[in-house]
Amino acid sequence: MLIQLNQKQVKLQNELQEYFESLITPALRTELNQPEHFEGGGPEFKKAMKTMGSDGWIGLSWKKEFGGKELSPIEQYIFVETVMRTGFPFPFLTTESVGPMIAEHGSEWAKEEIATKILKGELIFGIGYSEPNSGTDLASLQTKAIKQSDGYLINGQKMWTSLANFSDYIWLATRTDFEAKNHKGISMFIVPTDDPGFSMSAINTLGDVRTNATFYDNIHVPETHLVGELNQGWSLITSQLNLERLALVNHGPVEELYKDVLETAQSTKINNDQYLSDLSWVKHNLAQVHSGIEALKLICWKQTWIMESGQLNMAEASVAKVYGSEFFIEAYRLMMEIIGELSILKNDSELKILNARLERMYRTASILTFGGGTNEVQRDIIAMAGLLMPRTR
Amino acid sequence: MDFSELSHQTEIRDSLDKILSEHCSQERLKKYDADFKHDEDLLSLLSTNGFLGLGLNEKYGGSGEDLYDLGILFERLGYHAAPLSLSGCLADVAQTIQKFSNEESCNEILSSIIAGEIYTSAILEPSNQDPENPITAAEIENNQVVITGTKYLSEIASIAKSILISTNSNEGVLLILVDTDQVKLTELNSTANSPLFKVELDSVKVDRESIIHEKGRGLEALKYLIQLNMVMRSYIALGVTEKMTSLIAGYTSEREQFGRVIGTFQAVSHRAADCFIELECLRLVNQQASINLNTNLDCENEALVSKIWAGNACHKISYSAQHLHGGMGVDKDYVLWRYCLLAKECELINGSASQNINRLGENITTNQ
Repeated sequence: MLIQLNQKQVKLQNELQEYFESLITPALRTELNQPEHFEGGGPEFKKAMKTMGSDGWIGLSWKKEFGGKELSPIEQYIFVETVMRTGFPFPFLTTESVGPMIAEHGSEWAKEEIATKILKGELIFGIGYSEPNSGTDLASLQTKAIKQSDGYLINGQKMWTSLANFSDYIWLATRTDFEAKNHKGISMFIVPTDDPGFSMSAINTLGDVRTNATFYDNIHVPETHLVGELNQGWSLITSQLNLERLALVNHGPVEELYKDVLETAQSTKINNDQYLSDLSWVKHNLAQVHSGIEALKLICWKQTWIMESGQLNMAEASVAKVYGSEFFIEAYRLMMEIIGELSILKNDSELKILNARLERMYRTASILTFGGGTNEVQRDIIAMAGLLMPRTR
Repeated sequence: MDFSELSHQTEIRDSLDKILSEHCSQERLKKYDADFKHDEDLLSLLSTNGFLGLGLNEKYGGSGEDLYDLGILFERLGYHAAPLSLSGCLADVAQTIQKFSNEESCNEILSSIIAGEIYTSAILEPSNQDPENPITAAEIENNQVVITGTKYLSEIASIAKSILISTNSNEGVLLILVDTDQVKLTELNSTANSPLFKVELDSVKVDRESIIHEKGRGLEALKYLIQLNMVMRSYIALGVTEKMTSLIAGYTSEREQFGRVIGTFQAVSHRAADCFIELECLRLVNQQASINLNTNLDCENEALVSKIWAGNACHKISYSAQHLHGGMGVDKDYVLWRYCLLAKECELINGSASQNINRLGENITTNQ
């Protein structure tokens, strides 16, 4: 048993950290601090993505034969961790989830036109999975793709299509077999957002993160836009799910914030001879967060190790998702208590603390308990796969 | 990164389970519910099979200095609710002597522990919240040390050859091995009927050689002992809570109400899933702490984190288990109740979760 990063992994971590420090210019930082660019999409962001592409920092999880670096799960985790610590809204879903699937299962056109450009940092995808009536029960989705002589005709509506407002394409889950059981009739398409049949309306969220409802009205795509076999799309949706869930609960950002809150508490005077960190309840909150982060870090590391050794352990992946997402909410609360009233001041306010990161983080934290596979379903999985209990109904 | 157990560790786990499941049947455990809870036969069986040498160097007859191995022993003892209280002997005394005593003491004491001789420790004091700063006093007079004070919660002291006592002196903290016949013992009657004693020392005189460490290393040795004890107790807690969680899964998968197995109600299965999450966290923080203690004698924060998780897991899982079992959970003819009592003992001895959170917060804010 060995529970630490090895030299090579530490080196990668340092290398990435240095790289991102130089990548994030003051201009980019300013852009990212504007709510409409929280998730990227601005000119500085696009420039940075292209730089990353030409420096070879995109496609880390891709197989070497498709031009990737084929990093192991633990190295990918370190990558996600380091990027998230910097606050750069790296489009992981495009580069690490959609990209490698297109590179591996796409048509010749998709491989040359799409995969290559993703590697260069020139393309962004929105993910079209959820629908108004298909959320947790995703396999019940109804957006249709009907076979025609020269391709497919797509009609339907998607919800929560994040990034669609600056995406080039949508990675779209559609129903192509209406007779087959739910998950057996689903196919994946690459749908261009500049098609006249494509439209969207913004959904503004509590966390000031914009997402979208997207509409697909008689969009015709050629055969080359189908990825993978017809009716075999479900496995493409689920194949990367464990890594994605793990990325959602990466311990990097919360640890980064914890360090900053600790430093703030240690340097904030509350009277002539006491600092904030001298108060017993402040110590208590910090220790709660500390011991929670330790467990989260170990859960995530263990999960990457499980993936690396090629085992499949559904229960532990769900443990990571449930524990991590619920811990974040608790941790932000405990840290906001330490900073006190000042932590409700927003990013553009006088007197804000730590760039108002806590104020923003607490507003976005709730997404994770239901997003990425709602925690009720994860607990069902834990009971079944971890405790061998009967299926709930 | 490697979370797998080595093959010898899996073997330790398997053979321990074999021995312990035979020796800790309901029938046998019942015998110890009211009697002195110490299974002499089981102890000698563990000794014959080499399990008392886990975590000890081969040159003393042990199976290698890996604290994770020792952790497996405590975990399995907890899992089977074994009538043996060995953390004072195998963790506190054996490991502290191995790390801080001279070769001669190691040879003598460690090999006799491996052979089944009982030693124990007496560290905790009533009305002292800080075990690193003992009230029990040692006065050094020429080549003699005179000890006065009161300790409590000392395990199986009545059958121990000697007791390792923590003291304060004008040379700082001293850890001193005292023959049991020199102290006054009173058995305490505690919640899980574990054999715990009050130890009174009234001007007990021992040779200076009874101090187990080099001059000036007493505090370091005591800190190590306390941290190791926390981690090993957390391993007992891991075994106890693992058993309770598996009892939950088993019982709720069979018990039928409203025409269906109650484990199919989400309210039930989700509470069970929360126990599984708690358990997984405890397992990981224990692993980290025991591995770090292998190479670093001072891992206070890791040890605290592990005992914090242990305290919380013991509390939460115990009450979830009782609740989900309904009346069965408190019926003394069923197995669960013993684990609930053990859980409370693990939760509180050597630092409760709140106390340790407080300590951890102190360390964090003073950059320790």
